[in-house]
Parts: sequence; C-alpha cells; structure tokens
Amino acid sequence: MNPFAAWFALFFAAVFTQNILLTNYLGMCPFLGASREIKTSFGLGAAVVFVMTFTTPLNWILYHRLLVPLGLEYLSLIVFICLIAAFTQLIEIVIERVSDALYASLGIFLPLITVNCAILGASLFMVARSYTFLQTTAYGFGGGLGWMLAILAMAGIRQRIAKNRLPRGLEGAGIALIIAGLMAMAFTGFTGITAPF
Amino acid sequence: MKQSPDLQKIQEAMSPGRLTKTGFLGSDSRPLADILAEDEATVARLGLTHAAIAARMAYFREKGEAGLGLAVDVPPHFEVRVDGVRGRLPCPFAHPGLYPKIFCQVRNQKTGETVTYSDLQIHLIGDHGFYEGRGSPYRLEPETLVRVLEITPEE
Amino acid sequence: MLNEFLLGVGIVTGLNAFLALLLVLAERTLSHYGPCTLTINDEKKLVVPGGRDLLSTLKSEGLFIPSACGGRGSCGLCKVTVLDGGDPLATEIPWLKPEEIARHVRLACQVRIKHDLRLQLPREWFAIRQFQATVVSIRDLTHDIKELRLRLVDPPEIEFQAGQFIQLEVPPYELTDEPVYRAYSISSPPSNRREIELEIRYVPNGLCTTWVHRHLNVGDPVTFNGPYGQFVLKPGNRPIIAIAGGSGMAPLKAIFLDMAEKGMARSVRYFFGARSRRDLFLVEEMKALETRIPGFQFIPALSSPLPEDRWEGETGLITDVAARHVPDASEAEAYLCGSSFLIKAAIAMLTERGMPRERIYFDDFG
Repeated sequence: MNPFAAWFALFFAAVFTQNILLTNYLGMCPFLGASREIKTSFGLGAAVVFVMTFTTPLNWILYHRLLVPLGLEYLSLIVFICLIAAFTQLIEIVIERVSDALYASLGIFLPLITVNCAILGASLFMVARSYTFLQTTAYGFGGGLGWMLAILAMAGIRQRIAKNRLPRGLEGAGIALIIAGLMAMAFTGFTGITAPF
Repeated sequence: MKQSPDLQKIQEAMSPGRLTKTGFLGSDSRPLADILAEDEATVARLGLTHAAIAARMAYFREKGEAGLGLAVDVPPHFEVRVDGVRGRLPCPFAHPGLYPKIFCQVRNQKTGETVTYSDLQIHLIGDHGFYEGRGSPYRLEPETLVRVLEITPEE
Repeated sequence: MLNEFLLGVGIVTGLNAFLALLLVLAERTLSHYGPCTLTINDEKKLVVPGGRDLLSTLKSEGLFIPSACGGRGSCGLCKVTVLDGGDPLATEIPWLKPEEIARHVRLACQVRIKHDLRLQLPREWFAIRQFQATVVSIRDLTHDIKELRLRLVDPPEIEFQAGQFIQLEVPPYELTDEPVYRAYSISSPPSNRREIELEIRYVPNGLCTTWVHRHLNVGDPVTFNGPYGQFVLKPGNRPIIAIAGGSGMAPLKAIFLDMAEKGMARSVRYFFGARSRRDLFLVEEMKALETRIPGFQFIPALSSPLPEDRWEGETGLITDVAARHVPDASEAEAYLCGSSFLIKAAIAMLTERGMPRERIYFDDFG
C-alpha cells in the first residue's frame, strides 16, 4: 500500500473505528459536562484537535529521541503530561496576543484541555502501538477530529432533545451517558473495517 | 462534572456579592446546568412551559402597576402590590439589558398565600428557565408559583 | 543504580526547566505590551502600561467611565469611541447598535490595550473624580431610608450641580470579592463643597443598601466617584411642577435648597407621595422652603394613610393629587424622580394636561 493510502487509512481509523472517545472512552469529562450546545462544543472540539495534533508528534520526538536512547521509557507519563501542560499554556499566550476573537472562541477552552485524558491517551497509545512519526501525525490529527466529531454529534443530539420530557433522575448526566453508549454501539459498526497497524 | 466555560462564568456571576447580596444560587452547590435541567423537568411534568409561567407573572405585574405602590385588586381573587426602588440590575446570564428593581407581590385571597418576585425574576424564568438555586431565600418553586398564581395549561 | 536515578531525575528536571523558561519568555515578550499612548479627543495624551482593559486602565489614570457591572461586560454603560482598536468582540456586539459599530464605539471594559489608541470621550467625563471620604453621620429618615453624611478627605472638595449623582463604592465585605458601584443622588446643595449627603433606601437583598444599613458606621472610610447626570435645574422662568416618591426626594432637595440659597424666586409646586405617615420625611424642611423661596409650595400626599396617622393633608395617588392641582400644564416644566411606573404615570398625566414631552425632565438611572 502506498504511503499516502497507509497514512489515510490510519487517519480514518483514528476518527471512526478507533475513536478515542467512543471506543477507548477517554476524554469523557468535558464530553458529558460541556456538550449541551453546538457552539461551545465546536470551540472545545477545535481546541482538542489543535492540541492533540501537535502534542502527539512532539511527544513522539521526546520519547524516541530523548527517553529511549537514555533508557528512560518509564518516565514517559510524567514527561508527556509536562509537555502537554506547557504546550497548552504557551498556545494560550500566543492566541491571546494574536487575536482577541480567536481567544474568545477557542482560547478560553484551553485550560479545560490540559486535563483532558484523551490528549495524554493519544500519546500513550502512540507509544504502545509503536507508531512511526508519520503514523503519529495521522493518529494525532485523526484522534482529535474523532473526538470533535463525537462531541459535536452529542451536542446536536442534546440540543434536539433539550425540550423533551425525560424520566425523573435521568436528566443531565444520566441521559448523556445513555446517548454516549448508543453512539459507541453505532461506532462499533465500523470495526468491520480494519486498518493495517 | 465540568461545565462549559460560558456557563461557569454565569454561575460565578450568580455567587453572593456579585449582583445581589445573597446571589442567585443560595446553598446549592450543583452545577448550573443541573439546576436548570431539574427545573425544566418539573415544569414539563406540570404540563407547562417557562414562558407560560412568566407570562402569568407579568400579567399580575402589569395589573399592579396602576397602584403606584398601593395594593390593587385583580379578579377573581387576587391582591397585587407593585413597588420599585432605584437602580437596575444586569441579568447574570450576561446579555444586554438592565432590569429595573421592581417587586411584585401577589396575594391569593382564596388560599391566603403570597408570592413576591422582581422584574429580573420574570425574565430569568421566562427567557432562561432559571428559578434560582435551592436554599436561595428568593428561589421561586415552580409548583408554588403555579399553585398561588393559578396557572393552568393552555388548551 | 545511582547513575540511573540521577539521570532520570536530571532529565525530568531539565525538561521542566526548559519548558518553564519557554513559558516565561513567552509571557515576557508576548503578554507584555509595554507602554502605550492613548490620545484622547486628539488633544490629551496619556502614556499607560499596556495589557489591561481600557476601563480599568483609565480608572488608574483618574479618568472614570460610567460602569454598573465593574467591567464584566454585563451593563453596556462604558461605551467609548475607539478609532483604531479593531472590531468589537462577540461579547460587545449585543450591546452596540449598527450605527455605533460603524462609528467605532466599543465597550471600554472589553478593549485590551495592545498598542497606541485614539479615543473620543465626552467632555463631562473629565470632571469625574474619585473621592475618599469619611462617614460623619448616619441618620434614620424613615423606617427604611437612611441619610448618610460624608466628609471629603481626598480631594477635600467637590464641585457639582444640584440634582447630580455619585457612584458609591461598596467595598469587598463578607462575600463580595471585588468592589461594586451603586448610584445615589446628592441631596445636599452644591454650596457645601466639603460634605455631601445621600439618601439610601433599604432594598431586600440589596448589595449596597445592606452594607449601608447593616455594616457602615460613623467614622468609616468610604470611596465614591462622580459627579454624574443631567438631571439639573434648567435655566428660565417657567413654573415648575415636581413629583417624587420615596428616595426620589434626594435630587429635588438639593435642587430646591440650591434655589433658596441663590435667592431664586420661581413658582414651584412640589408633590411628594408616600403610602402612610411613616414613609414621610423632611416635611418641616420642605415646608420651611415656602418662606425661603417666594412661590414655592410643598404638597405631600399619602396614598393609604392609617387611622392613627390622623392625616389631614392630601390623599390618593400622587399623580392624581398633582392632576387635581394642575389642570393646565402647558406653560410649566416638570421634574420627576421616583420609580419607573411613577414616572410613566406622571408623564402621561402631564402630557394630557398640555405639557410638551421635551419639558419633562426625569432622573433615570439607566
């Protein structure tokens, strides 16, 4: 398979069949708590895409060019978290400087992203599955997009049912988890499609 | 559970000392999103909408205005007094509009019960479905409003 | 073994130090905007540290812009024309009319000073100052209205026109975390430049009134800024009809005392409405003005006097009482101060009796 197709296949898998939220159940906290409106979900999703796309390859470099040669693979968890936190903070400073409008629509979500375990999860999966640098770029970008897709779908559904009557006790978190479960089941339909990795 | 930053900011605006002395949430520590969801469900169970409740509250407020601070009789069996103090308050939901500090007191002469609410509260209920948090001394229970103001579902 | 341990610790420490350095550098270079020059009305230039919002920066420079929400973007009062500040943010758009956006009007609390700016401010705002004062007396006027007397400390004197108001700062107390401002009319005449008097009516759950009624003591320091407002006596000789209720007395008291001190003679009929006797106050002082101002008449009215009040004066709604006394209002001008529906009813009554809308002035704390 030519490299471009391989890249795309992995990207596609990261978005759909191995969706980091619906398949691996990572990044659930903001997914359940902040997904009531499409507008905010879009901002949150865009922030996740941005951070995941850049931190996963950066972590690859740190892991393979620093930790592995020195035999310090066991430090990967700490090192990844530090990089993600620093990166998010740095980007927030840059965006605040460059554009007030962009900061208002995306920048305010960045602090929420630092503690999103999907970001760390992507880096850890990258290590566990021994991706190459190129594969990591596909996985990071795809993973972020997949998360964004999931939260947008969730927000759309919740906006649709916002005015509906629900059984007592299921409002809020209850119905959100049920919807997430149904979405995850729908996405398992994709597992028939396998990607070479 | 985390809320979106917008709701978080609004929730902070509702804390004591920001707009009013006791704030809008009282001792309720739940996220704002949950407070809204629960009241939404209660109102739906009563067969009504927030807009319908707010409309009835506004109706008594209109009728009571003519009294200029003096109680007015509103048929069939209500007594309404509307009074105001100076100044205006912004809505904690952070959109344009300042609401005069006008208070409406409705007494149901048949049951003897009274409810008091401000112009801002009519807006909070009608446009945001917000009845204030549990433990807030100014919380308006949807069931109480419906009972005292005799709000019935439209046919 | 030790080598491994040191290597691990060293790498983590080194990496974190590097990232921290990067962040510090970014903050130093990107978040610090250095000094910026604000050019106001093409004449006044202010050099200010950049990075903060326009509202609080101007406040630090002694220039006060009206604000009710303390800079949170929820009152829309801090409108300023910023000629080269860029487009309004999403938080500002709901407050601005299309023609204001075209004229580059922004909300000062939402404008971040990142570079030099050219502003246009109304001239009156230059006269607004912040004052430190001390509470000299707190006196009960009625069961829910207190009269607050403040002696100015810094600056020691204030210049204002009778009828204007100030913004009283409510300091962080109990549960507030930032100061909040509330507007009150000055009820003392402008001749007294060293002290001002305010009338403060208790509001249930009120942020400022609870502080004044329950926490403030004689001798406490107080901060306020001002003066603001256009509710002042208009020049001329037209007969005056004044209608007020509750704490609406304050600006009118300042205006009439000022008239008396200046020896003005004008026909004034001042209708003051209250519910029962316990809501009336300063009756003797207002009656005394009848001897000091030729043509002044004070007409208090109670809308629901209690039997023990033994009230012999006018009764009924204040607008009805005024209507009875003024069959024809076409030649007079009116000054109204009170709740919005009192003002609404009074305007309706006066226009019905021939008064043109432009000659009706009312105190509107919008």
